[in-house]
Amino acid sequence: MNQADVTKLVSKLRIKVPPKHRRLSCPEGPEGRLNKLRKTVTGLIKYERIELNYYRGDEARQYAERLISEAINHGDCHKPTMEMADFWLLEKELVHKLFKVLVPRFENSNSAYTRMLKAPKPAYGRYIDKAVLELRGNPYPSLQNKQTNNRQLLQNILLDAAKYDYRQAKYAEMAEKIEKSEESSSVKTTNIEHNN
Amino acid sequence: MSLVFSKSFDLFKAAKWILRKDIRSCLSSLPEKVEKTNADEDKMTRIGRRPRSQNPMLEYRHIYPEFLPDPNPNWRNSLREKLERADMLERRKQIDIPEFYVGSILAVTISDPHAQGKTNRFVGICIERKGCGLRAEFTLRNVVDHQGVEVRYELYDPTIQTIQVLRLEKRLDDKLYYLRDALPEYSTFPVDMDPEILPEGTTVPVNPVQVKLKPRPWLERWERQELKGVSNIEEHLKEKDRVRRELRKTPWEKYDLMKQYRKTVPIEDQNEIWGEVYNQLQQMRMSTKKTARKRVITAPKSQLG
Repeated sequence: MNQADVTKLVSKLRIKVPPKHRRLSCPEGPEGRLNKLRKTVTGLIKYERIELNYYRGDEARQYAERLISEAINHGDCHKPTMEMADFWLLEKELVHKLFKVLVPRFENSNSAYTRMLKAPKPAYGRYIDKAVLELRGNPYPSLQNKQTNNRQLLQNILLDAAKYDYRQAKYAEMAEKIEKSEESSSVKTTNIEHNN
Repeated sequence: MSLVFSKSFDLFKAAKWILRKDIRSCLSSLPEKVEKTNADEDKMTRIGRRPRSQNPMLEYRHIYPEFLPDPNPNWRNSLREKLERADMLERRKQIDIPEFYVGSILAVTISDPHAQGKTNRFVGICIERKGCGLRAEFTLRNVVDHQGVEVRYELYDPTIQTIQVLRLEKRLDDKLYYLRDALPEYSTFPVDMDPEILPEGTTVPVNPVQVKLKPRPWLERWERQELKGVSNIEEHLKEKDRVRRELRKTPWEKYDLMKQYRKTVPIEDQNEIWGEVYNQLQQMRMSTKKTARKRVITAPKSQLG
């Protein structure tokens, strides 16, 4: 049972964090692993959507989320955060992007800052899981095919037609009812007149 | 609880919406120039952002670190943690467990397990605090008859009768294991030490003393640990040690964001925990302060009489 480190306060990540890190087989050891992830995080911040191996993407995702949450929590006047951004972003213009574009974008969001989707594997390649890692709110078209909202989808066309038919049938029924009631009332009135 | 939360959240949302609406209506009624300045101010505040305001309850994490759970998710169990916290508060109602840090000098009295009805008192400097929950423990070190002695106590051990802080202070390092290899005068404290009372409202002082190590052999490779509280470490090193220290350095570790994350408990989880125990802990602190004040007043009277 270890005591939690209380010197630094971190905000909770909105993604699932595995209990242990992945070592990302690397001959240079932990330093090389971090260098690999630096490249990936830089690429993610720069291009906003990248395709890569699943494990490396999942690791880089955690670091990118932490970097953005640190930037949101402390702002750009906080020296340690600035050093952290300087370490993680290999291209220095991206530091400006982090604080001036991404922080306002994600400041009030309630979800994770990144999204990771499984990508198709090459048919005759090595059997390695691929993933697409992207920042939320990126300018590219969506990768998820949300067909439930697409009116041109065959199922939706059929459903619309069925709804239309149902509605027509209902209208016809209502019209019949009204006609019947009108007839009966007219019969009643004529009866009353006869009685008089 | 959840109901209340959702209610308050709804209220907050509504207030936010009304505010926004007001601001919008104001902006639309004002001339364009004013709008521009407002926008500029907005930008300025965004660029020069200040850190978000912190929950004052979070400061208790330094005083009561054992209330936070183990950060390893494999060992987390919310029910066990909750029960342990309740038990810890119960124990704290029985005896006064004071605020202390690594580097403070404590006197602990425990009932002797080998002699019925007798007690043992040990005075020493706290060289480490570790563990969480009911298993939290601390180690005291002293030199008795030219022999270094360390005693490890469990903080919530029911055989502990009193814990008294003789001198409340911190040291430059988080762990003082290096006192084992330091000259004995740095870990020698008289058994009949009087407690020193800090004036109220002062922050806990940091003792900047730097100890001198004995010549090698050492128990650990102190030169690789970047210790601030050791003054003469370079005297005992050979060229070989300096080279190996350079090779063993891990300057990238302070940038490993996930390593830090896995060592700590995030703010959101801490808020929950402190929200649960804060009130009771604060009440206990207030009551101990009151009794301490009484003691201060009564002490000179007894001397006079």
